[in-house]
Amino acid sequence: MEKDGLELEITELRLGLPGRDLTEKIMKKRGFMEMIMTSSGSNSEQCESGTVSSGVDVEKVNDMPAGKTQVVGWPPVCSYRRKNSCKEVSTTKVGLGYVKVSMDGIPYLRKMDLGSSQGYDDLAFALDKLFHGIGVALKDGDNCEYVTIYEDKDGDWMLAGDVPWVMFIESCKRLRIMKRSDATGFGLQPRGVDE
Amino acid sequence: MNRATKLRPSTSEMNYFPDEVIEHIFDFVASHRDRNSISLVNKSWHKIERYSRRQVFIGNCYAISPERLIRRFPCLRSLTLKGKPHFADFNLVPHEWGGFLHPWIDALAKGGVKLEELRLKRMVVSDESLELLSRSFVGFKSLVLVSCDGFTTDGLASIAANCRNLRELDLQENEIDDHRGQWLNCFPDTCTTLVSLNFACLKGEINLSALERLVARSPNLKSLKVNRAVPLDALTRLMSCCASQLVDLGVGCYENNEPEPESFAKLLFAIAKCTSLRSLSGFSEVGPLCLTAFIPISANLTSLNLSYAAEIQGNHLIKFVHFCKRLQRLWILDSIGDKGLEVVASSCKELQELRVFPSDLHDEEDNNNTAVTEVGLVAISAGCPKLHSILYFCKQMTNAALITVAKNCPNFIRFRLCILEPNKPDHITSQSLDEGFGAIVQACKGLRRLSVSGLLTDKVFLYIGMYAEQLEMLSIAFAGDTDKGMLDVLNGCKKLRKLEIRDSPFGNAALLADVGKYETMRSLWMSSCEVTLGGCKRLARNAPWLNVEIINENESGRMERNEEDEREKVDRLYLYRTVVGTRKDAPPCVTIL
Repeated sequence: MEKDGLELEITELRLGLPGRDLTEKIMKKRGFMEMIMTSSGSNSEQCESGTVSSGVDVEKVNDMPAGKTQVVGWPPVCSYRRKNSCKEVSTTKVGLGYVKVSMDGIPYLRKMDLGSSQGYDDLAFALDKLFHGIGVALKDGDNCEYVTIYEDKDGDWMLAGDVPWVMFIESCKRLRIMKRSDATGFGLQPRGVDE
Repeated sequence: MNRATKLRPSTSEMNYFPDEVIEHIFDFVASHRDRNSISLVNKSWHKIERYSRRQVFIGNCYAISPERLIRRFPCLRSLTLKGKPHFADFNLVPHEWGGFLHPWIDALAKGGVKLEELRLKRMVVSDESLELLSRSFVGFKSLVLVSCDGFTTDGLASIAANCRNLRELDLQENEIDDHRGQWLNCFPDTCTTLVSLNFACLKGEINLSALERLVARSPNLKSLKVNRAVPLDALTRLMSCCASQLVDLGVGCYENNEPEPESFAKLLFAIAKCTSLRSLSGFSEVGPLCLTAFIPISANLTSLNLSYAAEIQGNHLIKFVHFCKRLQRLWILDSIGDKGLEVVASSCKELQELRVFPSDLHDEEDNNNTAVTEVGLVAISAGCPKLHSILYFCKQMTNAALITVAKNCPNFIRFRLCILEPNKPDHITSQSLDEGFGAIVQACKGLRRLSVSGLLTDKVFLYIGMYAEQLEMLSIAFAGDTDKGMLDVLNGCKKLRKLEIRDSPFGNAALLADVGKYETMRSLWMSSCEVTLGGCKRLARNAPWLNVEIINENESGRMERNEEDEREKVDRLYLYRTVVGTRKDAPPCVTIL
């Protein structure tokens, strides 16, 4: 982001009403509220740029209660640990965020951020990347060995791809990629959910 | 003073000994600092020391060039190199900043050095440099990589394939691009020398049968830390193979719900044979039952790292730790809670080092009951008389608690406290935490490393400057009011080597007050402070033996010379002493003044 003098100052994050003197120097004591930015823990590229320029972010920041905002590199937990240890989803919460993804035959879990996908195609691509090119099917691809199912907030297992995307991400608690041959006897909820 | 007859008994008498004898005596001097000191005594000692030096520690890879190092210590066998500054861990340093390994390997190979051990921290390592390393040093034995990046499992394959005498491959918290390859297969059948193998940080699948065969033909294997792609039954087989000699085990396997009774029984049987096991870690994708399986040998453990065990709830952690009576080192998540730390305090009387990491970084729950507070810290300080190192992430603190901790534990060498919310005051009195930290530095006469947090004024730095006589490393964030704070530290802490500051109101006056001070230090980091470009330029002019690096926000281009305003604040400043001048490998986002 280029330093363009005044233009940057207009977009600089401040607390307080618009119309304050924009050339006013920042106070000597920098409370952390002055350089908060809406960065997610894993988005390091955003973190490294110095300021956030979107007006939307300013609004978000002012709405959020103190202590809930994210500061670059704070708390000082190293990035490896951030990516590998912290609970990224609570089992009671549903909605956007990380969900666990398991795949039959693979002895470890993955986690992925549903919010980072835009639709089922995106999701298929992301799952593919997660499990390194297994060729995961989402929409009834008959030539695929696997199907993707998800556990919804009622605890039922559903076949992914039936309901509208927005409805899906709101109710998906976890994902499972299972062998098509195992799926038939699994007890999936029938299709035809009201849209 | 009659100089002609003045005797200097020790050195002049020692010089009548042949060099080999002096060298033999030097062999007993192991610490780097002591060896540096003896090399300064006289020319003869300097020469003997040079040629007999086997281990060299370079705290900043840009302080010296590989060529100069090799010229001075041509017989070195073991090299430790550190690259990026500490705050790179927290995404404050651009990825391409520097710290490249390749020039070092290149120079060592060309210089004919018989390298046997290489330990790297925060360096950028490439597959090419690993390949060159594997081919250049016949006797190469030990590779330890900590927080490094830039390489893939292909590089590991070169090491496996070409290092015939490899004893140690230890990968800690690195970002490795996992090509899901067959790197484990690359260990030849003739390789039987492995003592330590740690690949816990690898993300992908591995060839399980290759691993089992490797372990089976490694009779000296003492330390094995696997990644999450090794399921329970495979781990059981591995353990059975080397149970009696295993000292250090890293577990990391995905457990669906609960293990089958038969697998679990086999695991228990294997664990029972691990009578030498002293250190346990991993458990990143493992449920509590797997941890419970280790209870039979828990009383032997001296080191326990459950800081990645996010799936294991506090009550299970507490239950396990309760049995670890001989524990000296504990790394754990704050999900253990204050109650859990009270159990640690009553059970682990041998505890020397404790690290409590935050389990919930996104702070989703408002009333996060399982985080730790000052209560846990006080309990530990009261219960563990041998405690000397602590890293403690907590949500609140009080001066009273810190004063009590200082009274209980005057032996702290490392005290790192991180209150999760910046600028948070004493939660009972609403005052700053100056007095609490003041008590720590006053009581702990041997304190070498300190990290402060919470609401802090200039006063805490007055205390630090006054009392922290042995302090070598200080980390400051969101603290202080004026330049006086930083000045008190720079003037008072005579042994200060590393100072790192972020988001604090220290500016040019503090930076420039004593330029000579930086010659006695390894490095200074200041980000989001009040120093300006003009101030940094002035510093660079007055101290040509320093590299003064400005890391810009704009990563795509250097600062335009015409447009730069000397009054502009510098976002990130990193300066360090060096004998080799400006480095040539800086990326565009870094300007070296």
